[in-house]
Amino acid sequence: MQGLSVFDKGIGYLEACLSYYNGETAYMLLYVLGLIYLLLKGTEKEKQVFLPCSIFLLLTVYNPVAPVLLDHFFDVNSEYYRFFWITPIVLLIPFLTVKLIFGVQERKSRWVLLLLLSCMLLLSGRFLYRNGILWADNIYKMPEDLMAVSKLIHEDTEAEYPKVFLEYEYNMQMRQYDPKLLLTIDREDYLYAVGNQFTEEMLEDPAHPQYKLIAALIKDQKVDMSDLLAALEETHTEYVVLDRQNQRIPWLTEAGLETVGEAGDHVVLKYRLKEPYTFELVDYSVVY
Amino acid sequence: MTQILIIVCSVAVNFILYYVFGSLVLFRRGSLAPPSLRVIVGFFSYYAVFFFFCVPVMKYYRPLSVLTKIWSAVVVIAVVMVCITDHGNWKRMFSSACERIGKHPRYVAGLCILITVQIILVACTYHFTLDAAYYVAGVATNVDTNMINVYDPFTGAWQDHFEMRYFFATYSVQDAVVCQLTGIAPLIWTKSVMATVIILLTNLVYVMTARELFALTDRTEGGQAESPAEPKILAMTAVILFVNLTFHTIYTASQFLMTRTYEGKAIVGNLALLSVFYLFLLMNDEKKRGLLIRPWFCVFLICFGASTISSTANMLMPVELTVLFLPLIFRIRRYRWLLPYAACAVPGMIFTLSYVLYVKGYFVFYTYPR
Repeated sequence: MQGLSVFDKGIGYLEACLSYYNGETAYMLLYVLGLIYLLLKGTEKEKQVFLPCSIFLLLTVYNPVAPVLLDHFFDVNSEYYRFFWITPIVLLIPFLTVKLIFGVQERKSRWVLLLLLSCMLLLSGRFLYRNGILWADNIYKMPEDLMAVSKLIHEDTEAEYPKVFLEYEYNMQMRQYDPKLLLTIDREDYLYAVGNQFTEEMLEDPAHPQYKLIAALIKDQKVDMSDLLAALEETHTEYVVLDRQNQRIPWLTEAGLETVGEAGDHVVLKYRLKEPYTFELVDYSVVY
Repeated sequence: MTQILIIVCSVAVNFILYYVFGSLVLFRRGSLAPPSLRVIVGFFSYYAVFFFFCVPVMKYYRPLSVLTKIWSAVVVIAVVMVCITDHGNWKRMFSSACERIGKHPRYVAGLCILITVQIILVACTYHFTLDAAYYVAGVATNVDTNMINVYDPFTGAWQDHFEMRYFFATYSVQDAVVCQLTGIAPLIWTKSVMATVIILLTNLVYVMTARELFALTDRTEGGQAESPAEPKILAMTAVILFVNLTFHTIYTASQFLMTRTYEGKAIVGNLALLSVFYLFLLMNDEKKRGLLIRPWFCVFLICFGASTISSTANMLMPVELTVLFLPLIFRIRRYRWLLPYAACAVPGMIFTLSYVLYVKGYFVFYTYPR
């Protein structure tokens, strides 16, 4: 969870975790207010449903010691927040809101209460589509350019499974649409690159030639052209897809990569492997 | 237009299959479990049963097509069994549903509008999420290679062993089976068909839970409701939608439901947790407790089914069972419930333990004989 660590924070982890979880919303506070309301005004049955489980939640999930204890057995750093999902916020708050509104008999008072509760809910949340709704381009919910890139590569290559270097967003999306494209960069490498620079030591590591590609083409770090071409060769990368604005494109074409075509804002470049590489699926028919 | 028709038909077929599996689980001569409960329990039963066929095929690196054939046969047998045992109830249920719609047309129309809005929001909008790179690409990779979890979804490279974190979560393998069988693109199946199914199921549980919650408040001494529940249920569903659209940080279950609906985590965080809460509500009610058909078996299937959908359930479901059922067991002094309560937590704990042993290097499942 955004770099939070139980080891570093100790019993303060829960508070920090809750703070991230709630963000700018106040629904957790409304839930607590709802419980207080039930305690004071709820029916016996309502109390039986919501109060004991909330006390048990307080003793377990919301106990600051719980993540510290759990961390001895499992790595809960990035996933502890999911325990908060057990809290029936999405049931209790709407239930009490409706109960309160329908509980008022007089028409005018009911409208006033409706207005008040609406304001309270509006102020408690953060609208998911506050920046507008981004409608999908197509039934696949993939950018049209990405689909065009896939088409360009398959039209150009003779390989069934060509290997491609893609920028971050396309790298995460491409194989959902086209599993016949092999990717040079793993998800973890890109996640590292989002927040970090590659050190000299990492760039010299012969076990990870792909670091040089991300460093040069995405992070704009200094990498020799010969090293970059060697990295393309070692990773068997035949295609490089970059944003048209990427300043490394002239550098790559100068080094011998050919432009296969353009798809929207993206340029597809081809590197001719010195030693042609063919990826083949493992033959399991011989196993039995 | 054809694609939309395919999506609509696929959603309908899914619901029929869940109903079939739910009917098998909740079948009892002379008793009739509500269709809504059959569908919900059926959904989790479907994935729980699939697990037992999937794991051996995957573990012994048989092709996906073998699993597709086996699973098709299982589903056909289940459908035939329900046709034989349950066909007498269909007419009764259909006329009961029509009667209910006729009684409350505005309520039904309101619910339809609310649910349609949600379906449009989840099925027609674009959301970039990192985890889709694993889940959806995993389905696409399995279909393309005709193998099960042998190739890395992120890069397409061959893996020499199975990733145990996802080994028992066979939900996405079922997606691959259906995609292979029908030829529907994995992206359409996961992000449109399954997203719609999950929204419909989650709203079904909201309505069922709202009905029970208002029954707690409204029932008079004689057991009759003070006022019709339908307007309140509709209003509560509307407020729930509002909360789901505004309880938004990247960590909340609402956010997962509205933007990452097709992921196992979203199903566990919303549908599974709420389904267990609904059953808890029924079991908390002395009068309804006696009418329920195999309530603990239903809870077990939901917990086990959830664990086969996402490994997140392995830690969430035992905790939810504890916070809901332990106080209930002690309050009503029904200590013999302690055994089924523990049994419901067992599958998740076994999966968790095996993952811990794998991480600590005690065992590994290779993807090729050694």
